[in-house]
Amino acid sequence: MSLARIWRILRKEFALGPRSPFFSYTLILPVAMTLIFQVAFGSLFEPKPRMGIVDDGSSAITAAIEQMDGIELTIFEDAAGLTAAVEANDVDAGLVLPAGFDGAVAAGERPDLTFYISGESYASNRIILSVTTIDLIRDIEGAEAPVTVDVVSYGEEGLPTNVRLIPVVVFYALVMAGVFVPGSSLVEEKEHGTLVAMLVTPARSGEILAAKWALGVLLATVMSVFTLALNGALGARPFEVLLVIVIAALMTSTIGLLIGVVAKDSTVFFGLVKGLGIFLFAPAAFYLFPDWPQWIAMLFPLYWIIEPIWQVSVMGASVTSVWAELAVALAITAAVGVVVAVLSRTMRARLIGE
Amino acid sequence: MTGPAISVEDLRYSYGDLEAVKGISFEVQPGEILGFLGPNGAGKSTTIKMLTGQLTPKGGAARILGEDITADDPDIQAQIGVCFEEKNLYLQMSALENLDFFASLYGIKEPDSMELLRRVGLADRAKDRVQNFSKGMRQRMMISRALINKPKVLFLDEPTDGLDPVTSAAIRKTIKEEAERGAAVLLTTHDMFEADELSDRVAFINEGRIVALDTAENLKLKYGTRSVKVRLRDGDGVREEHLELDGDGSSVRLAELAASPDLLTIHTEEATLEAIFIELTGRGLQG
Repeated sequence: MSLARIWRILRKEFALGPRSPFFSYTLILPVAMTLIFQVAFGSLFEPKPRMGIVDDGSSAITAAIEQMDGIELTIFEDAAGLTAAVEANDVDAGLVLPAGFDGAVAAGERPDLTFYISGESYASNRIILSVTTIDLIRDIEGAEAPVTVDVVSYGEEGLPTNVRLIPVVVFYALVMAGVFVPGSSLVEEKEHGTLVAMLVTPARSGEILAAKWALGVLLATVMSVFTLALNGALGARPFEVLLVIVIAALMTSTIGLLIGVVAKDSTVFFGLVKGLGIFLFAPAAFYLFPDWPQWIAMLFPLYWIIEPIWQVSVMGASVTSVWAELAVALAITAAVGVVVAVLSRTMRARLIGE
Repeated sequence: MTGPAISVEDLRYSYGDLEAVKGISFEVQPGEILGFLGPNGAGKSTTIKMLTGQLTPKGGAARILGEDITADDPDIQAQIGVCFEEKNLYLQMSALENLDFFASLYGIKEPDSMELLRRVGLADRAKDRVQNFSKGMRQRMMISRALINKPKVLFLDEPTDGLDPVTSAAIRKTIKEEAERGAAVLLTTHDMFEADELSDRVAFINEGRIVALDTAENLKLKYGTRSVKVRLRDGDGVREEHLELDGDGSSVRLAELAASPDLLTIHTEEATLEAIFIELTGRGLQG
C-alpha cells in the first residue's frame, strides 16, 4: 500500500469533484436545506431589534441591554451620530442617557427621556425596544408593575422546530458527502472503465478504495462542521464536536464504500441507496417526533453517530457522556470495513465479469 | 534481461462453462511485434486481460519480463503499457491532466506528457477536455497513455478499430517506433492488413486456440498459392488470366503470355492472411 499513490488518487478526486454535478449538489444541499428550514421555522431573516445608545453616565440600562441576546446594541459617542444612524435605519431606535440619569430616576425626579425611532423600522422591533426600555427604567426606579401578569403557556414545551431539524440537515451533509460521493465515484469509475485502467498500473485496488474513502471522510467532516456552524450549533466545545463529526464521517464513508463496491453500475447503486434510504434516515426522524419511542432509533446504524452529534453540538453535552454511542459507531465502522476489504478482493474479478 | 519479454505456456481461461482460451503458448521477444489475428470472441482480449493482470488464468503459466503474472506484482505493472479496446479515459479531465495523472500512478515526477501528445498529434489540444475529442483523438490519447511509462511490454487491444485511414496510419507509425525502441508488442486485431503491415509474426487465434504462428511471409508461403494475374488486349477490350505458378505447365504458359504482343500487365498475386485464416479455420476474420 503506497500512501503517495493514495494521495495522488485523492488529489485527482478533488480535481475532478467540482466538475461533477453530483459533487456540487453535495456542497449545495445542506446549505439550501438550512436556508429553507431557517426561513420556514427559524429566525434567519428576522433580524434582532437594533438599539443605539449614547450613554454619558454608565447607565444600568445600557449594561442590561448589552447582556440581552435578543437585542443588538450599538454605542454612539454623541446624539448627532445616534440620530443620523436612526434616520438611516442603521438602528431601529435610540436613546440618549444623560449623566446622572439612573440617580435621577431612582430619586423619583422623572427626568425627560427622548426615544428616537427609525421611520423604516419594523413595528415589532419598536415595541420590543420601547417596552424593554420602560421595564428597565422601572427596575431602576424600584417601582412595581401596576398589574400582575400571569404567564400561561399553551402548546408543547420543547425545542423549537428549527433546532430539532438540525440532525436532519447534518444527516444529509453526512450521507451526501460520506455515502454518495465515495460510492458514486467508485461506481462511475467502474462504468467508464477508468478503474480497470488504474488497475493495470502499479496502483492496487486497496489504494484506490482508500483514496475514495479518504475523500468521503474529508468531505463529510467539512460539510458537517460547516452545516452545524451555519445552524449556529457548533456548541461550546468545538473540538469535541469535531471529534464526534470525524467518527461520524468515518462511519458514513465506510458505508458509502461498501455500497460502491457492491454496486456494479449506477442503476444498482441508486437502487441500493433508495432501498437503504429509510434505513439510514430513520434515526434523524426521531428528533423531529420526540413522542416516538426513542429506543427504536437505536436499531438503526446512523443513530450511533447522530445522537452524539445532537448531544455534543446542540445540547452542549461533553464527549465523555456519549462515549458508549461513539464506541458502538466505531465498532459498526470496523465491521463494515472488514466486509469492504473482503468484497474488494473480488471487485477486480467482478469488474471483468470473471 | 535476456530472453522473451512475454512467455506463455498452455494458458487457459474460462467464463463459467465457456472455455475462452484453451491452452495457448507463444513468446514475444523485446522489439518484436506479435499480431494476434482472429475474429471477435476468438480469445484475443481474454489473453491480454490475463497477461495484464485483469484476469487470473485458470491454467497454464505466463511470464512478463521473467516474472510470473499471477504474482500480482506492482513492479511488473510498472513495466507494461496497455491500450484498451474501450476508450476508458477521464472525460472531464484534459488530455494533459489524463496523462499526468496516470504518470503519477507510476511514480513519474516529470512525465513527458506534452512530448507524447506531440507524437500523437494532440499537442495543440493538450488543455482541452477529452469529452470534446473525436473517436480518433481519443484513440490517440489511449495510445499516448499506454506509453506514459515507456513500457518494456506493450499490449494493444484493437488499437485502430473503426478509425479513419489517416488516424490508423498515425497509430501504426507510433507502434512501429515503440518496437524499434525495444518494446515487445502484443497486438490484437481482426484487421488482416494491420497485422500484415505491423507484425513481425502473426498468430491466428480461433475458438481459444492458436491455429498458426509464424511470420506473415512464411504463412503465405506455407498456406497460400503462388499465382500471377495477366491482363491482355482482346480486340477493343481487355481480358484477364490467372495463372497458378505451381501448376503443371505453368512456366510454359507464362512464357507464352510474356511473349504475346497483346500483353498489357503482369502482377504477382499472393494469398492474403484472411484467405489463409479461412483456409485454416473455415471462418472469416470479421465473424
